[in-house]
Amino acid sequence: MIHYKRRSVSSFLLSSLIAGAVSIPFAASAQSGDTLKFGLTMPLTGSQALYGTDQVKAAQWAVADINAKGGVNGKKLEMILIDTQADPQLGINATKRLSSVDKVPIILTSWSAVVKAVAPIVNREKVLALSVGANSPEIATLGDYVYTTFPLADVDVSGLSQYTYTTLGKKAAAVMYINNDSGVEGAGIYKSVFEKAGGKIVAFEAYDAKATDFTGALLKVKAANPEIIHIQGLITDLPQVIAQMRQLGITQRVSTYAAGYNPKVIEQLGAAAEGLIVTSLAPGVADNPNVAPFIARWQATEKRVPNGLPYTQYLYDSPYIVAELYRWLAKNKLPATGDNMRKALLAVKDFDLPLTGMLQVGADHRVKKPVYLLTVDKGAFVPMATIK
Amino acid sequence: MTFEFLLQILWTGVAVASYVVLFSMAFALILKVVKIWNFTQAGLMGASFYTIYICLNYFALPLLPAVVIGYGVTVCAALLFNRWVIETLRARNSSSLTFFILTLVISQFMIYFFALCFGTEPLSLSKNIMSGVHLVGGIVISNWDLQAVGLTTGVLLVLYVFLNQTNMGQFMSAVADNASLAKLYGIDVSRVYIYTFCIAAFLMTVGMYLFGLKVSMIPETPLQMMLFAVIATLLGGIGNIFGAALAAVLLSLIQALSIFVIPSKWQSLILYVFLFVTILFFPQGFSIAKLKSLLQFKRT
Repeated sequence: MIHYKRRSVSSFLLSSLIAGAVSIPFAASAQSGDTLKFGLTMPLTGSQALYGTDQVKAAQWAVADINAKGGVNGKKLEMILIDTQADPQLGINATKRLSSVDKVPIILTSWSAVVKAVAPIVNREKVLALSVGANSPEIATLGDYVYTTFPLADVDVSGLSQYTYTTLGKKAAAVMYINNDSGVEGAGIYKSVFEKAGGKIVAFEAYDAKATDFTGALLKVKAANPEIIHIQGLITDLPQVIAQMRQLGITQRVSTYAAGYNPKVIEQLGAAAEGLIVTSLAPGVADNPNVAPFIARWQATEKRVPNGLPYTQYLYDSPYIVAELYRWLAKNKLPATGDNMRKALLAVKDFDLPLTGMLQVGADHRVKKPVYLLTVDKGAFVPMATIK
Repeated sequence: MTFEFLLQILWTGVAVASYVVLFSMAFALILKVVKIWNFTQAGLMGASFYTIYICLNYFALPLLPAVVIGYGVTVCAALLFNRWVIETLRARNSSSLTFFILTLVISQFMIYFFALCFGTEPLSLSKNIMSGVHLVGGIVISNWDLQAVGLTTGVLLVLYVFLNQTNMGQFMSAVADNASLAKLYGIDVSRVYIYTFCIAAFLMTVGMYLFGLKVSMIPETPLQMMLFAVIATLLGGIGNIFGAALAAVLLSLIQALSIFVIPSKWQSLILYVFLFVTILFFPQGFSIAKLKSLLQFKRT
């Protein structure tokens, strides 16, 4: 028995040494050869593919544009794309594959539930994860290797809530929210900021993600008689909630966050969408000269505007961040490991990006950006205000 | 909460129950006559919806022809399923578990197929989901509500007459009771199965038409709705089609009225509670006699 144990221990030690010796060169494999690799995990199928596929397309365009201009020091960027369906378990599988098989030092990911699920893996494997588009405030506390390049919910939702009270002068608000991570946290932030500013939340109603009838919750909101109603939902349910709201004779103005900034909302609701307030965390056509050509490119190739334009802007800019980090590594002659990518992120920290402008990544794992408010006027989204 | 609110919730609950009633009856009918738990129904519902969607949005057909074509495609899919799957498994004397697993697999395959073809973007049969409304005694009644209740009531009446007054309806009852004996009496069992699938496909198509006008759908939606149909079928009593319809209405109303006692986010939980209670205590369907015997058992 002891003899067997000694043999198994020494076998283990020998195999570990071999594995260690073999694995060290692989740390640099992400930048060996002609390509600089990074991972992108997005929902390409499932209920969130509406946004995910457009965001992936934006990232693909960025990679092609960067490579067309010579890449990074002559080397091309290579994006390894894996579908998550916005499902945490699939996100975990994708991240494990990217870190263990593809050995990428940096992964771009999104959807709050997925980012939270993969955080332990990237922290353990020391792979830098950049969250792009997920807005749960918890993302800032997920560990050393998780950073966001997208403002979290406490930026746009709190900005909107504050604006609603101080500028729009609404003192009583109702909140309806979808019962998932985005909904619960965003609604909580809106409520907290609104009450802190001096307002009163007269109704706070959640609804199930699979619900199709919202009559009960809407009647509770109607009974509370708010001055404005904030909905923290998704594009799949937001139009139904507003449609049923209007049909029940609830005429108060409605606000929502960036998920409502989608032409489908106006198409499905028609006149019922008038006055809807949405947020955008990306500059519009009037704020950034690169946005109009981006939209025109989309119209030319896809014959429409992108779903969730602000998110696609951030996803387009994300490969530029990756390219900057690789550039820093090359300049400092460091291998492409997750640890070095993290150092690069904190060293570079200020990025001048084509579609979203200046971005500063903080050591507190957050970014600060202006919040752009838009409203539906005569069947189209028009700028309403900018909250710095 | 006022009395007016109560009436509003009741009315909306009844209206929303319309498509659930139709799906439940389709499921219950196939279970009663063909004796299978037809989870392929989710795939067939998807086929119906997406066919109508294509006809309306790609071929710009008027509504009625689009729905008729949707029905045609659903019937063809259902009959192919009956011919190539059910009859094959029946010829092999396959167990109920095999039927159950295979119908679920086929349904999931169809859902993936729809996702590949149409993506996962939420789609509605009408571009604009708003519906005109009327105020009747303080209760908001939308045009969709009227259409849903009217159409479902009409379909129920026609089905009742068909099942009770026509020869084929009586043949279906006979086959449901004992297929072998029915065959001995000269009833063409295969033809009865075909009629059953045709009627079930009709119920599914009408249901998906109503659903698609009100709500946006993604490929997985029919599978999620199957839970309601299964619970209503169990609660209404296996073999009782109109019992399943009544159970569907009651479940919908209970779910809607639960807003008075529980937070709205827990309303969907009601279904799972009913599923648990039904399977545990009323596997043959709810009845007053069974409830009394359970209460007596509890007292002793």
